[in-house]
Amino acid sequence: MAGTFDFRRKQGPWSKSGPTIRLILGSTLIAAVGLFGLTRNDIFGLSFAWPHAALWGAVGWGRVGLSIRPMLVLIVFGVMQDVIFHAPFGCFEVVNLLTYAGSTAIASQFDVMSEPLIAITSSVLLFAGAFLLLWLMASTLEDHAVRILPLIAAMLTTGLLYALIHRAFDLGRRPGETPGQAA
Amino acid sequence: MARSGRTGQRGSRRSPKRLVLGVFIFAFAALIIAQSAPQIRGAFDPVRTSVGDRLGSGERISLWSRISGQAAKDRRIHELEAEVRDLSRYKAAAISMAERLESYEELLNLMGEPPPRGVTARITSESEGPFAQTLLANAGRAQGVEPGSVAMNEGGLVGRVIQLGEHSSRILMVTDFNSRVPVIGEVSGVHAILHGGNTNSGTLTDMPERSDFVEGERILTSSEGGAFPRGLIVGEVRKASGDWRVKYAMSEGSAGYVQLIPPPVIPEPLPAPDVPAGDETSPAASPTQGARQ
Repeated sequence: MAGTFDFRRKQGPWSKSGPTIRLILGSTLIAAVGLFGLTRNDIFGLSFAWPHAALWGAVGWGRVGLSIRPMLVLIVFGVMQDVIFHAPFGCFEVVNLLTYAGSTAIASQFDVMSEPLIAITSSVLLFAGAFLLLWLMASTLEDHAVRILPLIAAMLTTGLLYALIHRAFDLGRRPGETPGQAA
Repeated sequence: MARSGRTGQRGSRRSPKRLVLGVFIFAFAALIIAQSAPQIRGAFDPVRTSVGDRLGSGERISLWSRISGQAAKDRRIHELEAEVRDLSRYKAAAISMAERLESYEELLNLMGEPPPRGVTARITSESEGPFAQTLLANAGRAQGVEPGSVAMNEGGLVGRVIQLGEHSSRILMVTDFNSRVPVIGEVSGVHAILHGGNTNSGTLTDMPERSDFVEGERILTSSEGGAFPRGLIVGEVRKASGDWRVKYAMSEGSAGYVQLIPPPVIPEPLPAPDVPAGDETSPAASPTQGARQ
């Protein structure tokens, strides 16, 4: 995560792309992972936890500061998640937006771009916080304590995959930079 | 490490985006709270069903498939698969009822009716999330699915339709925490209620005090309450740490299809004809006299 901007300096097509293109590609990736998650999640009889892909966007996009477009995208994904998981409307939107808010808050206080320890710790905390919030909401709204093991499994999948593909959710700006400055 | 100095600058000129984010979070939190009222939650059902329709009926035939003839082959394969599933269901039903049927035939000389034909649908979405355990199937009102239809797969009972769209159905699985199914032991004849619990096995409760299940016997639906027809295979009963638990039979059938059977229809009792009350001049007693008025 720390080498994100070193990666940019290599001047590949990705490093030349602006925040809009990156946001679209990140959203496409989230949508694709989400749609695959609708099908049966087992291979050779082994079922596995599917990641909550929208949280990748919430954590990754939040690292460059607040912006309206990522918020709207996260709300759209939240609505889709509400429908898919048969949750009351608003649950996943709140989780996504609070994670996004947490990510921007951490990025405004610490240098998440060049300090690997902070980058990793903040991501772990954000994912853990998001799933804890999800568990609390589900347990409250369903009137019983929901099983925590599937959520932990989903959190691990989400976090591990994020470690591999976090660059897809880097909008290519430093915290506080305006889109014009980034280009 | 810490970005000192920057925070102070930012604090002085708070971005309106922060306000927007706050408003969004507050609005969605209010929306969640508002949905604790069933009427408000019900108002969102059309949105859910229409999105579910789009997710559920995702089987589009591409242009290339049409040109290459692959679409026709695929369709034929689907038909044959559906037929095999139908036949396997009949096989399971035949095995289940064979012994009982023989004794019925001997006693009453009566043949049982075949189970009603339902609609076979593909499961297009399974959510393993923390909320209700549901499936989305790609058949809805347009395909003849009725509200409250019972979902079966090759193994046994899967659940019940709780939301019906034009081309999709949302099935509440028997594994869901809120699922309650009245069941009966196939051999023991003991009645109980099966509680879901988001795991691979459900718990049996509300049994008669002096009756017990036979370890390993099959558990069938008992049709009490009228939500499920009688005799659908639910699973096998095992005793685990003092509790009777049912290993769901549906987990053995995992081809990704369900059959949606119409719910049992219990006819309403006919109202008794009006009897003139206190008519002492009546010459003879009416045949309905004494009937509930």
